[in-house]
Amino acid sequence: MIHNREAFLDRIARKLGRLRISEPVKRPSHWKHGPQWRTLADATQEELLSVFEHQCQMIHTDVRRAESSSLPDVLLETIRSYDGKSVICSDDPRFAEFGLSTLFTTQDNPYGLDVHIWNPEKGKINIERAEQADVGISISDITLAESGTVVLMSGGGKGRSVSLLPRYFIAIVPLSTLVPRMTQAARMIRERSERGEAIPSCVNFISGPSNSADIEMNLVVGVHGPVKATYIIVKDR
Amino acid sequence: MGMQFGDVVFYRRVDKGIRDQFMRNAVRAAQERMRTSRLRAAEELGDWEEWRQLGEEIRRHTLEHLDFYLKQLSDRVHELGGHVFFAQTAEEATAYIRDVVQKRDAHRIVKSKSMVTEEIGLNTALEAIGCRVVETDLGEYILQVDDNDPPSHIVGPSIHKDRERIRQVFAEKLGYTGSAAPEEMTAFVRQQLRPDFLTAEVGITGCNFAVAESGTVCLVTNEGNGRLVTSLPPVHIAVMGMERIVPTWEELEVMVGLLCRSAVGQKLTSYINCLTGPRAAGEVDGPEEFHLVIIDNGRSDILGTEFQSVLQCIRCGACLNVCPVYRHIGGQAYGSIYSGPIGAVLSPLLGDEELYRELPYASSLCAACTEACPVKIPLHELLIQHRQKTAEKERQSPLGERLAMKAFGMVFESPRLYRWGTKLARTALRPWEEDGVIRQGPGPLQPWTSIRDLPSPKRETFREWFENRRKRGEQP
Amino acid sequence: MKVSLFITCLADVFYPEVGRATVELLERLGCEVDFPVAQTCCGQPAFNSGFHREAKKAARHMIETFAHADYVVAPSGSCTAMLKEYVHLFSEEDEREWQEKARALAEKGYELTQFLVEILRVEDVDATLPVKATYHRSCHMTRLLGVKDAPMKLLSNVKGLSLTELPCAHDCCGFGGTFSVKMAPISQQMADEKVSHIKETNAEVLIGADCGCLMHLDGRIRRQGKPIRVMHIAQVLQSGLEQEGR
Repeated sequence: MIHNREAFLDRIARKLGRLRISEPVKRPSHWKHGPQWRTLADATQEELLSVFEHQCQMIHTDVRRAESSSLPDVLLETIRSYDGKSVICSDDPRFAEFGLSTLFTTQDNPYGLDVHIWNPEKGKINIERAEQADVGISISDITLAESGTVVLMSGGGKGRSVSLLPRYFIAIVPLSTLVPRMTQAARMIRERSERGEAIPSCVNFISGPSNSADIEMNLVVGVHGPVKATYIIVKDR
Repeated sequence: MGMQFGDVVFYRRVDKGIRDQFMRNAVRAAQERMRTSRLRAAEELGDWEEWRQLGEEIRRHTLEHLDFYLKQLSDRVHELGGHVFFAQTAEEATAYIRDVVQKRDAHRIVKSKSMVTEEIGLNTALEAIGCRVVETDLGEYILQVDDNDPPSHIVGPSIHKDRERIRQVFAEKLGYTGSAAPEEMTAFVRQQLRPDFLTAEVGITGCNFAVAESGTVCLVTNEGNGRLVTSLPPVHIAVMGMERIVPTWEELEVMVGLLCRSAVGQKLTSYINCLTGPRAAGEVDGPEEFHLVIIDNGRSDILGTEFQSVLQCIRCGACLNVCPVYRHIGGQAYGSIYSGPIGAVLSPLLGDEELYRELPYASSLCAACTEACPVKIPLHELLIQHRQKTAEKERQSPLGERLAMKAFGMVFESPRLYRWGTKLARTALRPWEEDGVIRQGPGPLQPWTSIRDLPSPKRETFREWFENRRKRGEQP
Repeated sequence: MKVSLFITCLADVFYPEVGRATVELLERLGCEVDFPVAQTCCGQPAFNSGFHREAKKAARHMIETFAHADYVVAPSGSCTAMLKEYVHLFSEEDEREWQEKARALAEKGYELTQFLVEILRVEDVDATLPVKATYHRSCHMTRLLGVKDAPMKLLSNVKGLSLTELPCAHDCCGFGGTFSVKMAPISQQMADEKVSHIKETNAEVLIGADCGCLMHLDGRIRRQGKPIRVMHIAQVLQSGLEQEGR
């Protein structure tokens, strides 16, 4: 439902001293200034990676690098460094592509992990499991070098709670997802909707663990969301 | 609570602020930190002026076409299965939200930080129908626990309190027994609030920016509370000032970058949460019901006036962090949830003009605010515009000032009167002179000399010297 | 080069020595100094108080008084910025003519140090002042007029001058024209903060380029009985070169 719209918008037009706009507004496709496109524009993948790693230090996020082959070990090591016993991860086909199926076996996990894979059919249980899990694991959909950000898109097996409720958060960052900054991500998302694809109901740009500076401007890491975060960069091509 | 708090007159609030040395130290430290991080962030980005121009251009374009973009936004949200309510007034907005809450028979509500919900007094309205409303932003939570102490900063609402004061509040109200260490108190709040998030029936947020083209609501936070509020409860109500809108994701990105850098000096905050409609089919978390409440509450009256640019504001608080007046009197002295330079411009426009009439004068017009604003709102000029409005409604400006300014106009138009005036001042002030200064000036000089010496007018004014010199033939 | 001096009312009445130093400095650098006697005040107090009708009166008068000038130079960043504001002051349809005249004045208006550096292209004026000093950058000069470097360039070439950077130089001193009397308690706090920063530098002399800020700070320094002397930059740039027989 849309309530009270016409009078509301008529008033705005009146106050702006004109009639209501009936034709679609052409938004200046090229604003006079475009500094956002210049940032890191000429950086190589390797340079972007180094910017990304440097920025992660600034946002209190650990970074590890892995080859496709070493990823399971690095991931397991990270989970153990958090003393993680229970794990929740999104249901993302890329886990299998990265050879993580064994690690995420839910029954009789060979590593002694209690693993839950997000399953929409199980409803609210997913959220309960996320709340109880020590570690949440997601794979980045787009990764922003400048700000040390992983972009997670919700939908189906990719629940919002995975990266939110557990005490620790691990993001696997496929190198191919790395772009200079939010500018490129925003355009990709926009292009998606222009192609007629739906925008995910929740797109999260996550830059490190949750934090607050509300007490005497002291930065405290870990408020409502994860208290620690690790990104594992994996060469996927 | 609403936008306004306290009923003490402005000058008394100023005195109270100035005497509160503790608050001033806290504010000074916070200000310095936020100012420095903002400057560093701007420097890292490079071409800051160009970024500001882009920000301004985007905001102006959006405001010029506001009706179009709001229509587009509401159409999109509707298509996505959300509800949109356009509220002309605070009362309309709170009535609608109450209605939504009551229809769900909901009583437990979690909120993430939002200026506009404070502006419309939403908490009070919901508490009146028996709801428990929990503020989940750490700063807001501290204030709420401390008997709804008013906020003193747009971004850091509790910066006027130190850790010891916060510890006391927690101990007194919540039985907290830990130390005053920020880490420990934060962990305590995490524990306190987690059950609230898990059991809340409705989540209420503000909206940093809405994207017209996609119907997206974007929340910018560091704590993660915004995510919890919009992931767990079955209902999400987002409340936005009608001007907080951008055309597409591409402009969103620019504005979010400017906001994060200007507010807290970060490239991006920990969480930029972009929500497009209620949860989609096959999703488990996220709200099943989504409402977007778009608020006018006085904003449309600003459109088309000399104050229109104030609606470009993205609530980053950068102007507060550079304002020396704000530093010395503190945010609460403004008597409005909108404090500092932006508050001095905005409060008389959105609130009771009479109530906030002194605020535009609480500025030395040093323009530090204008220089800091990421969307180039000419704040100090808008303060002068306010003064002009007051001056034009002649009866409102103090008689003394009116007469002085009338006289000013006459004198400065007439060199003869000007010359006569300067001579008169010299003669008239002679009895108060002492070693070349006046320490206790008469009548109109009193406010000046109450705190500082006034040099006595010189025996020979410059123009007399210049003329005499010519007469003496000293000129080269 | 002919320069028309806009002396500003504060310098005229309270600080004629600043005006004298300005004249002597400009003449020493080869300018012919003209002083249009009809000049009064730039109108800023009225403008900033919102009395724009009165401000316009002052503006029209100033525009006419300086109509003949090639360059208008003032020993004040704030008053110079006000001259440039006239263009915006005459914004009505029927004020086009005045707006054009205002634009002409704005284009030829310069703050003293700006004029020296940008037009005369002088950065060393051969002055000598062997003191420890600090410089207060006034807000209107830096933010509204955009003049930041000129005074520093000139001061760096003054012989014997030891200049320490003022902490929190970006902060306003709390003068703000009518603000200083209307909001005296806040103005006082701002002045005290500024004075405490000045003290931190151990400067004997506080240098500034605006008589308003200097009058306010000097008044507060005197009231506190602090041993800091206040000088306008024109006086500093003419130090060691004062003309005989003054």
